[in-house]
Amino acid sequence: MVFVSVVLSAFAAVTLWWTMHAWRTPETLAATRFAPPDGEQHLTFSLLVPARHEQAVLEHTVERLLQSTHEAFEIIIIVGHDDPETAEVADRVARTAPGRILVVTDHNEVKNKPRALNTALPYARGDVVGVFDAEDQVHPELLEHVDHAFRATDADVVQGGVQLINFHSSWYSLHNCLEYFFWFRSRLHLHAKKGFIPLGGNTVFVRTDVLRRANGWDGTCLAEDCDLGVRLSSRGSKVVVAYDSTIVTREETPHSLHGLLKQRTRWHQGFLQVLRKGEWRRLPALRQRLLARYTLTGPFVQAFSGVVIPVGVAIALWAELPVLVALFTFLPVLPMAATLLFQVIGLRDFGKEYDLRIRWHHYARLILGAFPYAIVLALAALRAVWREYTGRRNWELTSHVGAHLREAAPA
Amino acid sequence: MTTIELAEPPSVVVAGTDDVRAKKRKANTDLVIAVGLTAMIVTLLAWNITGFPAASDDEGTYLAQAWAVQHGRGLAHYTYWYDHPPLAWIQLAGLSWIPALLAPTLTAVAAGRIAMLPVQAVGLLLVYLVSRRVGMPRWAASLALITYGLSPLYLTMGRQIYLDSFAVVWLLGALALALSPRKHLWHFAAAGGAAAVAVLSKETIAVILPAVLVALWQNSARSSTRPWALGAFVSGLVLVGCFYPLYAMLRGELFPGPGHVSLIGAWQFQLGSRSSSGSVFTSGSGASSLLHSWLYYDSVILIAGAVASFAGLALRRVRPIALAGVILVLVALRPGGYLPAMYVVQVLPLFAMAIAGVIAWAVVALRPGLVWWRWAVLGAAITLAVAVVAPRWYVGDRRALSTDDNAPYAQAADYIRAQWPGRDDATVVVDDVLWLDYVNAGHPPDRVIWFYKIDLDSAVAKRLPGGWCDVDYIVSTPAMRQDPNSLPTVRTLLTNSTVIASFGPQDGRIEIRRVDKETPC
Repeated sequence: MVFVSVVLSAFAAVTLWWTMHAWRTPETLAATRFAPPDGEQHLTFSLLVPARHEQAVLEHTVERLLQSTHEAFEIIIIVGHDDPETAEVADRVARTAPGRILVVTDHNEVKNKPRALNTALPYARGDVVGVFDAEDQVHPELLEHVDHAFRATDADVVQGGVQLINFHSSWYSLHNCLEYFFWFRSRLHLHAKKGFIPLGGNTVFVRTDVLRRANGWDGTCLAEDCDLGVRLSSRGSKVVVAYDSTIVTREETPHSLHGLLKQRTRWHQGFLQVLRKGEWRRLPALRQRLLARYTLTGPFVQAFSGVVIPVGVAIALWAELPVLVALFTFLPVLPMAATLLFQVIGLRDFGKEYDLRIRWHHYARLILGAFPYAIVLALAALRAVWREYTGRRNWELTSHVGAHLREAAPA
Repeated sequence: MTTIELAEPPSVVVAGTDDVRAKKRKANTDLVIAVGLTAMIVTLLAWNITGFPAASDDEGTYLAQAWAVQHGRGLAHYTYWYDHPPLAWIQLAGLSWIPALLAPTLTAVAAGRIAMLPVQAVGLLLVYLVSRRVGMPRWAASLALITYGLSPLYLTMGRQIYLDSFAVVWLLGALALALSPRKHLWHFAAAGGAAAVAVLSKETIAVILPAVLVALWQNSARSSTRPWALGAFVSGLVLVGCFYPLYAMLRGELFPGPGHVSLIGAWQFQLGSRSSSGSVFTSGSGASSLLHSWLYYDSVILIAGAVASFAGLALRRVRPIALAGVILVLVALRPGGYLPAMYVVQVLPLFAMAIAGVIAWAVVALRPGLVWWRWAVLGAAITLAVAVVAPRWYVGDRRALSTDDNAPYAQAADYIRAQWPGRDDATVVVDDVLWLDYVNAGHPPDRVIWFYKIDLDSAVAKRLPGGWCDVDYIVSTPAMRQDPNSLPTVRTLLTNSTVIASFGPQDGRIEIRRVDKETPC
């Protein structure tokens, strides 16, 4: 019991340490921002938008993309051959901007996002390939910033920020939003610095030649974004993360708890697959390999500890343990409670950065929902292990209804 | 792979290698000064540490509790009743075995005092560091350290084994961390943790936590990370601090109830029913005579420090320290409270820093430069200050370095070590100072009893079913004879016993007395 407590608290402390990376000092915080663009445009972009049963949100997304201030970009929408509704929407918007938009049909029998992206890759004409999801709300100035970031840092990959916005939709969406906030605002920068980065699923930009040399995405992996990041990291590509709340890509949380569970299962299972593939073993430094191993197994330990720690505390309180042992079981609560406190501060910061009104009941919801959310994550982790073990590796799609669009309208 | 670092904040100067070397040299200069001065003052502390001041009961109490921790007997060898949080004597337990091992012939209290020297050394270094971090130049930080270390009051109190000394060190640590020039998030969390350890070392230091908060607030001003810094501090403070009530809760001793001690019950006693030591303004009251005894040792640092604390409130960078000093002054002056004898231990470093901070400001404001009369003013002030301070401190410090007040105790301890083995089955009643000497001489700890526990602790009374007749020896000391009427059993023992050995002069005599069992019990 004492040993488990010490290990769990060490893990929680390390995770907390990394999660808070951006706020360590004012200097680190300043370093996470996008530099303002210089107004020049040198690169051409191919923006890949895979859409599957997403006719409700696709049109809006593409319209936003078309508003981009950058001159040189094309949009490639990928639709499935078995999905006429989405294809129809895609064709309709394509007609509004004939030179800009290309619709590619994915004929793969088994459909998933990496296969859709691979289908589109041969058609990409730009210097840089960017990926967006069909429900993304992209800022018009993003491409100019990215253009500048590529040129200023000589990067192979630029990862922009993504943020879930509809924190008010449900109790879990609040936690989900904050997870994104901490990940993109802080943790990802640490990964970029250390040279091992699991990329995000969208608002990720890769130089086309680098991507082609890496043979595109892994069509069998459930976390193709993470996998790509690991492969590019292992090959020594330079990855740059830049975050600016004003030009971050806005997304929505899964609209049901079941959806969240499915999405999280997919990610966790994808992490497991990446771990098993072992590409990360090629990372040059031992520290990087340790970070890779830690990051890829992280969700499981986190899910485990999120449930085990409160249970351990309950045992300590109700079972008559020796006082010293009981005190030790409270040790992991320290980083856990600190994490929660930082989440409260994070929620305030989140509200300020995105100009959202955070009320007292949101804070209450955050605190009360922490344990149930930990249970959801733990369930997803268990489910992922189970599915991977039983060989069920199909793609469970998260559906989108556009809650973040309604949120954004008044703003 | 790197993050973009284009949005460099303007405050950061790109550090070239020469700059780094210069910085390192500067840090080394600070280190040499601070370590040199600290070594000098620790030497003064150590000189005659066994002889002066007279061993007090409290020192014996804390040492005995540290002994209980070392020997796995819980937090005290009597029922721990949450009188103080235990962290200070847990730390003492980690230190006190070293001198006991190196010099077994010392009395327990003398060995315990030597164990406190490293703690004092850290405190002195931290005074310098905190002074530097509130923006004082080197000379002023050195002045703070010297003012603190050479004050006769410090040379007296700093030698004794007090919980407050631990609390002060941790609080200074918290201040230093809160003023971290890198403004690192985890320094702030550590500041919170250190503040919690300070409070768990001596609870009364909690009154100056606002000063740490002010330091943190000022240090994170105009920075983008202030809310996070505060969050880090609060989580460090609360989460570490929680372990004490948690301990009480796990033992089922959080709330008062019949048949057991409790944390909240102890707090109620400390805050509510503890008898007041009166007002410092009422002559003859406990608080007033205590203040006079402090002033007797050193009036300079107390008066100048109190004035400087109030004045320092006006200076932005000195404000956290000045605020702490002012709070301590106001708490001491409040009417009707209880003023403990070691209260001043917390006051001294803050006063010393406030004095140095205000002087540093005054010198800068005077801007001597090339104007001769300003130099003259400065020189006159320095001469005057030295003329006032030096003779007083010389007398006080010489007293500390030469007086031997503990000879009787040392002789008694020698006697116990030499003569006592073989009388293991006897029950002995002693004061707190000699308790550990008996135990160290091999006497079973259960058969050595603190004198006031016979009358006040029901668990001890139960061990002596025959009342005072179950006691075989009593060691009479000044502390025991101070207030005989409140402890009837002790008084009976003193009247029904004969001296078998006695040490020291009449007024400070220590007598080992055998209890006469001829008189019917």
